[in-house]
Amino acid sequence: MAALATLVFCAPGYPGGAGDAQPFVDQFAKAAAASAGWKADSLGAVYDPTEQGGLAKLAEKDSVLAFLPYAFYVQHAAALHLAPLAQADVAGVGTQERWTLVGKAGGPVTGPASMTGYTILSVAGYAPEFVKHSALAEWALPADVKIEATGQILSALRRVASGEPVLALLDQTQAAALVTLPFAAQIKTLTQSAALPVALIAVVDSRLPDPRAKAFQAALVKLNSTSDGAATLASLKLKGFVLPQLPGNAGKP
Amino acid sequence: MKLNVGVAVAALTLAGCKTPPPPIAPPSSMTVEQLAAAVALDARRSDLETDSKIRDQLAADALQNAQACLERAPQAAACLYYDGIALGLKARAHPLQANEALKSMLDALGGAEAADPAYDQAGPARVKALVLIKAPAWPLGPGDAEAGLAAARRAAALRPDHPPNVLALAEALAKTGDVHGAQESYRRARDLIQALPSSRDRDDWLHEADQALGKLPAAH
Repeated sequence: MAALATLVFCAPGYPGGAGDAQPFVDQFAKAAAASAGWKADSLGAVYDPTEQGGLAKLAEKDSVLAFLPYAFYVQHAAALHLAPLAQADVAGVGTQERWTLVGKAGGPVTGPASMTGYTILSVAGYAPEFVKHSALAEWALPADVKIEATGQILSALRRVASGEPVLALLDQTQAAALVTLPFAAQIKTLTQSAALPVALIAVVDSRLPDPRAKAFQAALVKLNSTSDGAATLASLKLKGFVLPQLPGNAGKP
Repeated sequence: MKLNVGVAVAALTLAGCKTPPPPIAPPSSMTVEQLAAAVALDARRSDLETDSKIRDQLAADALQNAQACLERAPQAAACLYYDGIALGLKARAHPLQANEALKSMLDALGGAEAADPAYDQAGPARVKALVLIKAPAWPLGPGDAEAGLAAARRAAALRPDHPPNVLALAEALAKTGDVHGAQESYRRARDLIQALPSSRDRDDWLHEADQALGKLPAAH
């Protein structure tokens, strides 16, 4: 029987093709639906590693739920009418993370005013609203600063270290690994964000009735309480879910 | 991850349908060349295999043969190269240990390239390139698209008429955003492949080039 509803996973900028991830998201949808007391096969899942592909899938009427990085949520929450259900607890990261802006050590950038003419490169570069108003909320960026998406963060850091007019905005995992780079001494931290959610599951455009949404939310929060549920979560590098605690301005148009 | 080992073991590929026996230590009479060929056969069979248990056995067999090879000739390009290939099979069979295996694989291939860069039609640099462009990138894994492109350029410079080298260069160019360069390389690879006599490798390479060309966005 075809699934009646779809959970769309979208993670732009992170590795893994749709084919690689599909078995794991299928397993997750099955486990979460069972935990919520839904009929078997009532929830399907689909993974798309691109922003445009994810948006196209979310536009389909059967896309009732979305698993998204927080950056994607901030960028598209208003337009897609996303209502957060649960916040992911990501293995090795947690429920929140800080983003770090880095530049060349000894370089000319010391604050927002000296970023004129620079480009910010980041896996979250597809979400300029997130970069400007969440990750760098405390920095008033000059109008001519460009924000670009990159899946090649190592190349971006090499460009930073070589003195090109670029800065890199790193997620927590990337920032923690900076010390492993042979050119780490040529990189300096410029600023760090407040703690922000890592990823969310949200209802799309009120397509899931409230009672079913509540049941699914409760199921997500208790999913790690069984060994099977924990194993399913682990295959997606997740430890579990908590109720959403979003910053006040998240997802506002 | 397809390694495109590119070794002439076509006569042995029919064995790909059968379940291999559990690995046993290779006899001491086996030469370096025979041990290298045994790893190449394991790799070829693994490329065709869908059963994870059989791939696990093939990886274990390949590692044992590679180790025996290194015991006989620790500095030989063949042994270092096929140690790298065997570690690649291990990475595929054991995803949770893949990062460590891939790092060791890159070290072994670096050693092979230093010993004899032309071995297996510039195989050390070619395989190294494929690992660097396909593996998860920093900080999750040893993937490094720019280093992969440099390795692919070395392989293509050394053996420019060997289609897998040109395919690897095309893939590295695509990964680093040079769509035009990638298209040119894929087209050059097609020309080289079409000039070859009919074979399974020829079909596979042509399919790879056509599929990749179809996926590339239009260059401006």
